[in-house]
Parts: sequence; structure tokens; C-alpha cells
Amino acid sequence: MKIYVTGSATTAFGELWNASPRGLARQAVFGALADAGIEIADVQALFVGNMLSGMLGGQEHLGAFFAEELGLTAPAFKVEGACASGGLALHNAVNSVMSGQYDTVVVLGIEKMTDHKPEDVATALMGAGSEEERSGGATFPGLYAMLARIHMREFGTTEEELAAVAVKNHYHASLNPNAQFHNTLSVEQVMKSSRIADPLKLLDCSPISDGAAAVVITSKKQKKAARRVEIAASAVATDSLGLAQRKTLTGLSATQQAAARAYNLSGMTANDINVAEVHDCFTIAEVLAMEDLGFFPKGKAAAAIAAGQTTVGKGGRIVVNPSGGLKGCGHPVGATGVKQIVELVDQLCGVAGKRQVEGAAVGLAHNVGGSGATSVIHILKK
Amino acid sequence: MQSPVKVWRNQKNVAGLIGKTGFILSWTIVRVPPGGFTDQAPYPVALIELSDGKKITCQLVDYDENDLVFGQKVVTVVRRVTHPDGDGVIPYGIKAKPLV
Repeated sequence: MKIYVTGSATTAFGELWNASPRGLARQAVFGALADAGIEIADVQALFVGNMLSGMLGGQEHLGAFFAEELGLTAPAFKVEGACASGGLALHNAVNSVMSGQYDTVVVLGIEKMTDHKPEDVATALMGAGSEEERSGGATFPGLYAMLARIHMREFGTTEEELAAVAVKNHYHASLNPNAQFHNTLSVEQVMKSSRIADPLKLLDCSPISDGAAAVVITSKKQKKAARRVEIAASAVATDSLGLAQRKTLTGLSATQQAAARAYNLSGMTANDINVAEVHDCFTIAEVLAMEDLGFFPKGKAAAAIAAGQTTVGKGGRIVVNPSGGLKGCGHPVGATGVKQIVELVDQLCGVAGKRQVEGAAVGLAHNVGGSGATSVIHILKK
Repeated sequence: MQSPVKVWRNQKNVAGLIGKTGFILSWTIVRVPPGGFTDQAPYPVALIELSDGKKITCQLVDYDENDLVFGQKVVTVVRRVTHPDGDGVIPYGIKAKPLV
């Protein structure tokens, strides 16, 4: 059975103080439905990817919450996997269509974070870590900072090379009207930004954001759909919740395993991917992803990124995070994994405007939960 | 949210980790802390490998900057983790201090 994305839409990402979760959901879902040329009554199930609605907003039961808003009485589910909630919701949606239970479903990824104080958001996000990490006063920047330090020692990766990831992703975001940031950065600006968790600085970190994204997933040939992209693989792997329980600290094992599964399912290799949306929650995370996904050998990615080999319009073999990634486009955590798919659909259909990757035929989305406990990979092709 | 039951249940885990030696695998300095830690920041958090091979993530205490290096030997100690909440139970946990 072939599974397709026939509709996709995202809201703008950013500090959306005028927008409510209900309004964001309507904009994303009805946008995706219009794109697919179907009505809400055609939707047989709704999968909501979200992490923090309970801890921050006091609202659980999100399946029913958004179904009510959308005027839907079909089965509705919340899927939670920390910052991989969106990708995990998509994986479950794909499985539900593969099973034959439904033939057309909607995935909504959504998060509302900027209504709350930064320390409350930091505390809530640490819900994705282990109890030991919480009582140790760790934060997510802190956990990735420790991975960065190990990578720097093992492979000679420099802070300037990490900064180059943020510079590239802000450049891409400057070409994306829906991105949270439209300002470009210099390596020097990143290096001079305030320290958050050494060696990571403010501009190494993805922001706190609001936003929603939605896709229509179907096994049917929807004749009114303007465009159609096939999901060639959907794969998930899981590792220990805490960093301390990991076998390897020079990469994310869950990403390596999910990638192997996704390449196997699609019959493709890393060399076939023209465009990737990867989980750059911190600059080091994009470096780890490049290596764990097989785009560069271990220890070689940071220099390649700094040399512009993954920047749009530079003629490299692969362009990474043309949307601006989590760093430039914003990171409303539950929405991110779905927004990655929206971006890849635009890229594969050649409608990505100024950030269009020439000749994009195969795309990969990589969505991570926590410090690497959950990794979700989707491969899309035209 | 602290729960007296949870704090009590965790005591045997804490007791089993006291006085163990180990070394620093990696570290950071948390400058933007989560709730409950604001009065301690900035503070170092380290990934430590204990002599029995087990790894833990915890705060470093009684340190100076020269101690923040790969392979620095440490010993685990019991310390208060954060402030007691309304129930008055003081949450204790494991931290590590450098061995001279």
C-alpha cells in the first residue's frame, strides 16, 4: 500500500500572543484540507502531536479538544513523545492507514509556549528528561552542551563551527515567510551571545515558539489534491531517557537505528536524499544528525556545514533545514515534526520560493524527543 | 511537583549512591536554570562515570574552575537538591565534589 501526503499547511511560527491554540489548529488543519481538496467530514481520524498542553496550559484530552474545535466526531488521539511528538503522531497516522482501519486521516502538530514564563517552560521541557537529570538541575541546553563538549574533544569540532549551523539556518529562515526569525546572523554574533549552558550560547539554541502545522495522510487518490507526495518510509527508534544510560555519547543511537530502518524500508541510502529537515534544537544537534543520518562521516559534519556544503543555492549534494530549522523557523515542540513534512512537501513540489532546493526529489525529516531518547524519521518522494 | 511519598521512596536510591568515586566524562555550566534552581545558578552539571561503571548526571559542588576538566576524579555526596515545598519535606539527592 502506498501512503501519500495530499495536503499540508503551517501557521507562521513565532511569539503569537494574539493566537489561541484553537485558532492555530483551525488555520493549520483547514489549510491542509483546502490544499487536499477535501472537507472536514472526509477525515476519519485526527492525530494530535503535542507535548506541553497539560503542564503549561492545564489542558489535556487534546484529541477531543481539537476535534470539537474542528467540528469532528471521528476518533481523535494525542500522541506525546516530547519534541518528537509531531513526528510520532505522523508515524501513528501512517500506521493507522497502513492497517486499513482508515484511508484518510489528519495529523496536527501544535504547541503554545510563549504564554508562559521561561523558567516554567524550561521546567516543563525537562519533563522529557530523566528524574536523575531533573534533580541534578540539568536543562536541555545543558544536556546537549555535554554532548557538544564530548564531540569537540573527540573530533576537534569548534564553537565557531557550531555557530555556523545557526548562521546557515537563520539565512534559510530569512527566505521563509513563516519563520520566527528573518534576521541573518554572523558567526561573531553567535559567539558573542550570552552563555546559556557552556559551551552553548543563546544563539546556539532554538527559541521558545508558538505554532501549528497539519498534513492530510491518505491511501486514496484524491483527485482534487493539487499535489501529492509519497511517504516512502516512517521509522521510529527509542533509547534511554537519560544521557547517563547511553552506550554512546558521540552521536544519538536512536537516530542511527531509525535511519537504518528508514533507508531499509524505502530502499534508499543517505546518498539519495536531496533535502533534509533535521532536528537542530541546538547547533550541536544538527552536527550529530548529519553524521548519524549518514550524510557525513563521524567528525566531518561540522566543518562541512561551516563550508556551506548544506546551504541552499551553494550547489552541495544536500541542503539541510531549508525552512530555517528549529533554530531559525522556530520550535513549537509538538508542531516541529509536522512542519518538517510541510516544508519537504513544498520542496519536493517545487513551490518553496526563494529557498527552493534545485532538483529536490527525495526528502528526509528527522525529529528527536528529549536528548535523543526518541528519534523519528520519514522519507518522502515525489 | 514534590510528593513526600516520592521523596521518601527515592531515599534508598540516594543511599545506594553515597560515597562513590568516579570521574568526569563531560560537564556544562547551567546559567539559565529550571524552576527550583534559580538561586543556585550558575552551577556546573556533570556526566560522571562511577568506579563500578555506572554513569550518573548530577551537580558538582565544592569545586573550583580548575576542576572542570575531562577525567577529574570526584566523590558523590548527599546534598539538598532544592527548597522544601509546602509539605515541608526537604528533597535530598546526590551531587559530586572533586577529589583532591
